[in-house]
Amino acid sequence: MQWLDKIIASLNAALIEGDRWKLYLRGLGKTLEISAGAVILGILIGVIVAIIKVSAVQKRVGGNCGVLLRAGEWLCDLYLTVIRGTPVMLQLMIIYFSVFASMSDGTLAAIVGFGINSGAYVAEIVRSGIQSIDRGQTEAGRSLGLSSSMTMRLIILPQAFRNILPALFNEFITLLKETSVASVIAVPDMVKNATNIKTKIYNIAPLYVTALIYLVLVVGLTLVQKKIEGRLRESDRR
Amino acid sequence: MIDVRGLQKSFGSHKVLKGINEHISKGEKVVIVGASGSGKSTFLRCLNLLEQPTGGTITFDGVDITDPKNDINKLRARMGMVFQQFNLFPHLSVKENIKLAPVKLKRLSEAEADKRALELLSRVGLPDKANAYPAQLSGGQQQRIAIARALAMNPEVMLFDEPTSALDPEMVGEVLEIMKELAEDGMTMVVVTHEMGFARSVGTRVLFMDEGVIAEQNDPGEFFSNPQHPRLREFLSKVL
Repeated sequence: MQWLDKIIASLNAALIEGDRWKLYLRGLGKTLEISAGAVILGILIGVIVAIIKVSAVQKRVGGNCGVLLRAGEWLCDLYLTVIRGTPVMLQLMIIYFSVFASMSDGTLAAIVGFGINSGAYVAEIVRSGIQSIDRGQTEAGRSLGLSSSMTMRLIILPQAFRNILPALFNEFITLLKETSVASVIAVPDMVKNATNIKTKIYNIAPLYVTALIYLVLVVGLTLVQKKIEGRLRESDRR
Repeated sequence: MIDVRGLQKSFGSHKVLKGINEHISKGEKVVIVGASGSGKSTFLRCLNLLEQPTGGTITFDGVDITDPKNDINKLRARMGMVFQQFNLFPHLSVKENIKLAPVKLKRLSEAEADKRALELLSRVGLPDKANAYPAQLSGGQQQRIAIARALAMNPEVMLFDEPTSALDPEMVGEVLEIMKELAEDGMTMVVVTHEMGFARSVGTRVLFMDEGVIAEQNDPGEFFSNPQHPRLREFLSKVL
């Protein structure tokens, strides 16, 4: 049973000695803080970008696409191209060293960086969702006298949101795991703390522990997704 | 009430409406018939600017609705529209479908809208469907709800775009019956349809559209018994 003793010794060094388990918890807190902030920022950016892009296309078909809208669309396209065309690690470092360098803690930089990054992917997901809704829905809303923004908010987005929920959660799960890259800008997230412990105890057990925590988080997120989907399915009853 | 002058609409280089002049008075029930592609739906959709005309003017109650300075949302709120595909909001219950516009546009309070929705549901014969969702209803029921939804805004005119064309034959009657009652209550109606029986019995005037113009119009009796235009004769011989 030598191998079992070895495992227990490793886990003891990785978790118990020197109250190291607290470091994982603190790292977990950071990971969650960055993820939550980035998800909110990403959704905000994503919805706005998607609406600008969809409106530009609609107005162009209608033949009255204003200069402002066209400029907005151009900016959105530039944003999508740059963000989706470069690695998130580089984006993070560039944002940190160019804007947030004076801060010793990179947490805010990480939230902003991951938010901006995620926004690009969310934008395309939301756009696909809006476009999946039949044009008749917009026409019905407008024919009742609702403005285009009310129609978007009350009729199109709720239906779009339902259709894109799986893709959206895919993005959130990816984002949660991607935040581990934040260690490059000195954010003490879970992975950063785990690697520190690993170096100290000459043992890779901390990596297993961290992997397990991520796994639990993602399974939890998946359960949340199922719950929301179940609730939204109410109107599908036949 | 609605005055159309020189109305034109092109999709790219394809001219769908080639100059339409028409006046619709309060209380009239104007039925528009014609072959598919004749421009009748496009004409109807221009009346509330779901299609942006490429030429001409449309005046509603003295206001030029094609003038971008006029608030089209306010004008649309005074015109109800019923679509071929019903276009109920699938994520909302029947009652919420009916209440949405009056409440969000601050015409009615939540409680007033509730009451109004139930009244309208009785009127279209579906008082027990308030909490159902559109997907649970038959096509005919959905279209009756769509009529109730349009009526919730107390429109001065109702536009019907082939309201029975997407229905199974056994459901056409129930929708036409509601429309007939609406007509008897004095509603101004513009109806694009293939239901010649409805045109004959409910219409006060029937328009025949052909290749983007109104080729002929008459009161229903004359229209069906004594058609003049050769294209109308041909059309009637096919559909009657």
